[in-house]
Amino acid sequence: MGRSLEDLIIFILKRFLQLLPVLLGVIVLTFLVTHVAAIDPCPRWYQKASLAVINHCKAQFALPLWTQFWNYFTQLLSGNWGTSPLGVPVYPVISAAFPATLELVLTSMFLMIFIGIPLGVIAAQFAGRWGDHLVRVLYLSGWSIPTYVGAIIAAVFLAPFLGLPTSGEYSAPPPFPQVTHMSVVDAIIALNFPYTIDALSHLILPAGVLAFIEMGNATRMTRSAMLEVLPLEYVKSARMKGLSNFVVLYKHALRNALITATTVLGVTAGGLLAGTVVIEEVFGWPGIGAYAFAVLGGGGRPDFDGAIAVVVVFAIGVVVANLIADILYGVLDPRVEWR
Amino acid sequence: MTQPVLSIEHLSIDYEVGAGVFHAVSDVSLVVPPGRVVGIVGETGCGKSTLAQAIPRLLPEPPAHYRSGKIIFQGTDLIPVPRGKLPQVRGTGIGMIFQEPLNSLNPAFRVFDQIAEAIQMRHWREEGILPVFHPGPTPFDYTHRPLPEPVDVLSRPVVPGNAKAAVAKKVRTRSDFRKEVLEYLRLVRINDPETILDLYPHELSGGMRQRIMIAMALSGKPALLIADEPTSALDVTIQAQVLTLMKELIDEVQASILYISHDLGVVAETADDLGVMYAGQLVEFGPVAEIFEAPRHPYTKSLLRSIPTRYKSDWPMPTIPGAVPNLSRLPRGCRFHPRCSLAKPICAQDPGPVLRVIEARAGSSSSHQASCHFAEEVASLP
Amino acid sequence: MAATPLKVRRHRRGSGGTPPRPVGRSVWRSVRGLYRVMRANPLTFIGFLLVAIILILALIVIVDPALIVPYGAAQNTGVYKQPPTLLQWPPSIQHPFGTDQGGLDIYSEVMLALPLDLGIGIGIAAFALIAGGALGLIAGFWDQPRTLGGALSVVIMRTTDVFLAFPSLVLALAIVASIGRGVWAAILAIMITWWPYYVRLVRGETLAVKHLPYVTAARAAGVRDTRILTRHVLRNVLEPVVVYFTLDIGTVLVTFSTISFVGAGIPFPGKVPEWGSMMSFYQQNYVLSTYWWYITFPAIAIFMSALAFSLLGDGLRDVLDPRTRRALAESSSFHEPPAEVPQPAATPDAAEAEEEEIEEEAREAGVAA
Repeated sequence: MGRSLEDLIIFILKRFLQLLPVLLGVIVLTFLVTHVAAIDPCPRWYQKASLAVINHCKAQFALPLWTQFWNYFTQLLSGNWGTSPLGVPVYPVISAAFPATLELVLTSMFLMIFIGIPLGVIAAQFAGRWGDHLVRVLYLSGWSIPTYVGAIIAAVFLAPFLGLPTSGEYSAPPPFPQVTHMSVVDAIIALNFPYTIDALSHLILPAGVLAFIEMGNATRMTRSAMLEVLPLEYVKSARMKGLSNFVVLYKHALRNALITATTVLGVTAGGLLAGTVVIEEVFGWPGIGAYAFAVLGGGGRPDFDGAIAVVVVFAIGVVVANLIADILYGVLDPRVEWR
Repeated sequence: MTQPVLSIEHLSIDYEVGAGVFHAVSDVSLVVPPGRVVGIVGETGCGKSTLAQAIPRLLPEPPAHYRSGKIIFQGTDLIPVPRGKLPQVRGTGIGMIFQEPLNSLNPAFRVFDQIAEAIQMRHWREEGILPVFHPGPTPFDYTHRPLPEPVDVLSRPVVPGNAKAAVAKKVRTRSDFRKEVLEYLRLVRINDPETILDLYPHELSGGMRQRIMIAMALSGKPALLIADEPTSALDVTIQAQVLTLMKELIDEVQASILYISHDLGVVAETADDLGVMYAGQLVEFGPVAEIFEAPRHPYTKSLLRSIPTRYKSDWPMPTIPGAVPNLSRLPRGCRFHPRCSLAKPICAQDPGPVLRVIEARAGSSSSHQASCHFAEEVASLP
Repeated sequence: MAATPLKVRRHRRGSGGTPPRPVGRSVWRSVRGLYRVMRANPLTFIGFLLVAIILILALIVIVDPALIVPYGAAQNTGVYKQPPTLLQWPPSIQHPFGTDQGGLDIYSEVMLALPLDLGIGIGIAAFALIAGGALGLIAGFWDQPRTLGGALSVVIMRTTDVFLAFPSLVLALAIVASIGRGVWAAILAIMITWWPYYVRLVRGETLAVKHLPYVTAARAAGVRDTRILTRHVLRNVLEPVVVYFTLDIGTVLVTFSTISFVGAGIPFPGKVPEWGSMMSFYQQNYVLSTYWWYITFPAIAIFMSALAFSLLGDGLRDVLDPRTRRALAESSSFHEPPAEVPQPAATPDAAEAEEEEIEEEAREAGVAA
């Protein structure tokens, strides 16, 4: 009934087409913020650059707005993402840094799902009692800590306590080739056990802090969705079949609760990506978050082209995450028609 | 006299909510003999659904407390059973069908999966893979009944007789149960059950969903089937179909049925014994025919009188003045006395006897009992 | 007896307009209801207390800092006008949060930053609420296709979608980098990134209320749109929005301090201290494992403030749980039936009304009637 494989492909395509206008809007908005709203941009963006560079910048900004936009638009789409004030091209830097952030974000999401969702189920099970309160304090604490505070506390106080490293992906440069540029994955592919452990120990703290801070959304959504589902009769029917409590909760109830909870995936993506900016900076993780920190003025050396590129990349990330959440929702809820 | 399938003795259940303590069920006793249909009627809020869900301990335990009493199912008291053992209890011999078919079937799973899961659990219990709480007398088994003659193509399906051979001593996958699932679907009078196996609940009509739920409950081969207002959420025509189905099933299936409803007419058709509940108490109990002929409690009498029999000429419609009392602030004495036309001063002080036997005719399924000081005078009420 | 709709009010026919309510009784009832809620949700109560304490402290610091701020080196306020003498010392009795190398009493700095951070948080959230809420109302209420309102809603929603595609922190940082640093730049940046959330929220709620049976009835009866907006839509939309707003104050606070940390906000030490810039300064210039008290206390300040609002907001959200809200929405009288639609002259006396409350609670607890 409208849910075959071809229907799925059409569904994905339809959703994909729906996001193209948003992407266009993203590009336009970034242009507005960086080119139109800029107050005296050249000295600010190219602070310590040579006079020639600043003059070139001024010439660019003197062009009519449409020309500026056309240049900007074509450059963005063609992959020519400009250079930093010192002449380092932006595109290779970003594409090299991207896998590291992907690894970090995926690990955080994994932790969020496998710790945050069961916590939400527990909170729903013990709704109104101490278990619920405990879970709530936990995720609200994560929510209330600014990312950098959590990162600094983890790096300065927690890491020495747990014996974990606080900087970079590896302790020493890896001797094996970087296939995916994701530290743990590469180490596993190279079958290098000590380096796998090393990479994991570098990854766990930043991913853990990020997950702890962003977990609140997932836990809360799971909790309220479960509270809606648990009193329904099919949960009682499942119990009447003699199924154990665990099966009733995690197979019958959660399956339906997750349908509404997948919508939170898109919201969390934005938070996770924003979090990487600070986390990667504090933990020395070589991803686009740290790059964003630098180009947006964190170290006192902003980078105009880099800023534009990284902002657009982040927005694309959020949009893609929303797309995945949408598709997931369509797959999980049997009532959604794909055609 | 054979052991009753279900025997409830002086059961009291309270709900403790922030606003107070609700006495949802107070001192209810009833007996369900094997093979009989016992109906419970009452208004919304009288505690009948609480009672129904309390039997297999489906109530959420922290707000609900079993204050006193026993629920003896096939010889074992269910109240002291620890929480961890409850899944074993529930699967063994009690089946339940609920009111809202939209919410009783899991919307995320297909019809086949849901029924097959129930059958698989039953097989695991029979084969000893899963612990069984108490090996009571063997529940209803299809295999020993003679096959009924197919009367006409449309309505009489075949009840297959070789289910015993199918219970082999090996672990099987879900798809092995396909034949059994189809058998149970045919049992509930679904023609061409193969077509609906892969459908989701939201793709089916209400009547169909209700039949599937009945099939799911019966596939556990229960000794007691609790039907909690199974037709209340259906259209009248569908309601009639499902009722017909249930009546036929009552003849075929040897389970006892506890039928909860607010509709007196429905209960009159299906039940052998009837219990009337008001404000958490059982105010009258007895054979259905006797209760309808000669009710012995003022509430029952008023209920029966308020059924409109002559449409448009029955005006003004008789009602019971007043409102159902708040279960956390019950009146002293008899709970019905503020609204009772027979009320005397003693009714405000003394709650009255709990189900005093009024008459016990020979050949009746049970004795006729009522909780009223003045049960004999009820007959004289208009 | 069918389940009675909640809060059926007495209505005198022909009186036109809202019937006068017994003020005392309804105030008492809401206070008692509030007390019951607090008892059932201890965390909410704690959040409420914390928020109250924080607001009172902020008020004191604004009005008369000398009451609780001993040293105000940065601002020339406080009891002692001259800087403290014990420098670089860990927390002690004279300096409960310790002092730093440059002659600042950390406790004073933290307290002086309180009204600023709090004000920024509440102010930005309020702006987002008003601006985004107004847009959301428009987009939700007048979104009939092929009208001016419909076109406007499409434009609003598309723009909102585009804004929401950016992680708010990243967009805010980009804005600050473009227009320059400083406290106003940071505030403006967050304001620009924040309003879209409210648009989506308010629009969703408006749509839900618009389709309630009695609102449809009122519109069919010819009630003017503006009147429906103010009387029904606004009041029912307000509840979840207030919840979100409370939670949001904490989030804005956290985001603002992060922007300060990245270096785009208020410089420190400067005229006015701010928690985020304090931590940024100390983190860059000092070894934190030795001088742990430099950042611990501003961190605790931010954490406690955000946590207070989060507890309150999250607890409020539980009270206005979607389950009960949906049950309310499906009953024929949501908040109060409009005066234009004639009501049967029901007479709820106190007992019956309370009965309804208790019954509602019982329903919430899952009592099967």
